[in-house]
Amino acid sequence: MQEDFHYYATYAAAYIAGYSHEESMEICYSAQFVDVCSYTLLTKLKAPLSAATTQLQLELMNERTDIVGLQNITRIWSSFHFLPRDLYAEKKKCGKRYRDKYRLICGPNGDLLVDTVNIAKNSSLQAVGIAMHVLADTWAHTYFAGTPSYVINNTDFYFYELLGENEPYIEKSIKFRHSPTEPDDIENSIYTNSLSQSTENSIMNLGHGRAGHLPDYSFAKYKYLPAWKDYDEVIKDNPADYMKAFCQMIYAMKYLRGEISTFEKETYAEDEISQWKADIDQILRKRQLNACEDWKKFGERLSGREIEDFSIDKYQQQYIDAPKKDKDYTYLGRFFIAAMRQKSMVTNKIYTSGNLIAGFSVDFAKRGFKGIRDYIKLLEAFKRNGNE
Amino acid sequence: MNKFQRVRSIIWGILMITFSIGMIIFPNDGYIFMTMFISIFLLMLGVKKIGYYFSMARHMVGGKKILFEGVILLDFGIFTCALSDLPKIYVVLYLLGCNGFAGIANVLKGMEAKKLGAPSWKLSTSQGAVSLMLAVFSLIFVKKTNVFVYMYCLGVIYSGIIRIITAFRKTAIIYIQ
Repeated sequence: MQEDFHYYATYAAAYIAGYSHEESMEICYSAQFVDVCSYTLLTKLKAPLSAATTQLQLELMNERTDIVGLQNITRIWSSFHFLPRDLYAEKKKCGKRYRDKYRLICGPNGDLLVDTVNIAKNSSLQAVGIAMHVLADTWAHTYFAGTPSYVINNTDFYFYELLGENEPYIEKSIKFRHSPTEPDDIENSIYTNSLSQSTENSIMNLGHGRAGHLPDYSFAKYKYLPAWKDYDEVIKDNPADYMKAFCQMIYAMKYLRGEISTFEKETYAEDEISQWKADIDQILRKRQLNACEDWKKFGERLSGREIEDFSIDKYQQQYIDAPKKDKDYTYLGRFFIAAMRQKSMVTNKIYTSGNLIAGFSVDFAKRGFKGIRDYIKLLEAFKRNGNE
Repeated sequence: MNKFQRVRSIIWGILMITFSIGMIIFPNDGYIFMTMFISIFLLMLGVKKIGYYFSMARHMVGGKKILFEGVILLDFGIFTCALSDLPKIYVVLYLLGCNGFAGIANVLKGMEAKKLGAPSWKLSTSQGAVSLMLAVFSLIFVKKTNVFVYMYCLGVIYSGIIRIITAFRKTAIIYIQ
């Protein structure tokens, strides 16, 4: 997903869920900030590097794919963009090495999603925004894993766009090219994807790189053969999936606001959007590279307030200017703590499932503080508030 | 990293540095070692690909091509091992490829960091410039065997140091319930 959904649609979902305009702005800013909070930005802010929620393309190119490098990549991408659906999934006749990667395949309504929403409960609005980013991406990034893997994430020439709203669809063969500077040509179904690299851990095989940006476009409906699915084709219906993502975000945020007592999987706030369903469906199905304008208009119609455009700089000066002891109380300070908490939780769940791809996790209750020093901030936040 | 991986990483790092220093001291013998290493590297790559097919790629759509790649690489590795002296062009291409790619990636990363206002752009850009210079040197000094050895050794020493540093890095993440 991209800015149109993570920022503007998240604003609309938060507002429908009952948050005020100001609260909705904070939530959607945090949801979009997940896509820009890189090492490079954190270095500039002199903030803890462990709070990174994404990696720039060039950071990835430079990342070593040794054990530590892979752990780092997996922690970031599995925690924030490709939340695994089932860490205990089974596949017959395969070894542990294959199974560990297979279990990181992303999908909606997994146990980890419930954990993600639950750690945002009674927490900051920044934590809510992060949880909404993760939730939304489980729908968009289904079938891909947040770790470099040729055997899981590769795609081949069998890739068709399905045009038309109902069956029988018109099938149009998708052509991929490797030109990152050229925009996708949606008229002719020509999309940019990552280079084919038959090395298992090449960063070209991270996430949905081999399928280009197709999973990020709400209008896209396509069928293809995922590398891991034993030659069974899958049909990815983004308009339907994005609608579910939107309804599930509203449901999750109603829970986070305390209107609902438990967060349950496969539950969607469909009634809450009934009066706008046709409008939302129209935005989702419109063939365009960027739906920001449409979502913005929709959000502004809902609240009657102006939604300012996303600016990466908005809260940076506040963080830089704050005295050291107060940094954790700034907007970005809270975001960094929430991000580290999400990363810590997901890494722990992957580790305790017997999978070491995301590295080691140390349970503080059993072994005290060990490991990466940045996470002292998390400990301090817990001591201060219990649940920051 | 577990303890075994850390110890293995340190031992590999020390071995890489020791061999490289030895090759710098005796560059004439070093060239033979260097070409031998590259040949063995190709051979190992072929074996590794075939192993990868049986452990992983046989489960994937179109995975058979990995098996073919492995067989071809193995064949190529055996062929180059059988040669008494590896043609220089392979060594030049190897050095050019490694340093050229690393250089371009670092310079681009530096430019992006500068755009974001991060101070790390200077380090990235200078690292990229050094790598690109090494790539150019491998073309300029195409006839000087000793220069190849020095450049190759510098790369191996750098990798060895990184391996040792990595082994001492704290990598675990705390989990607080």
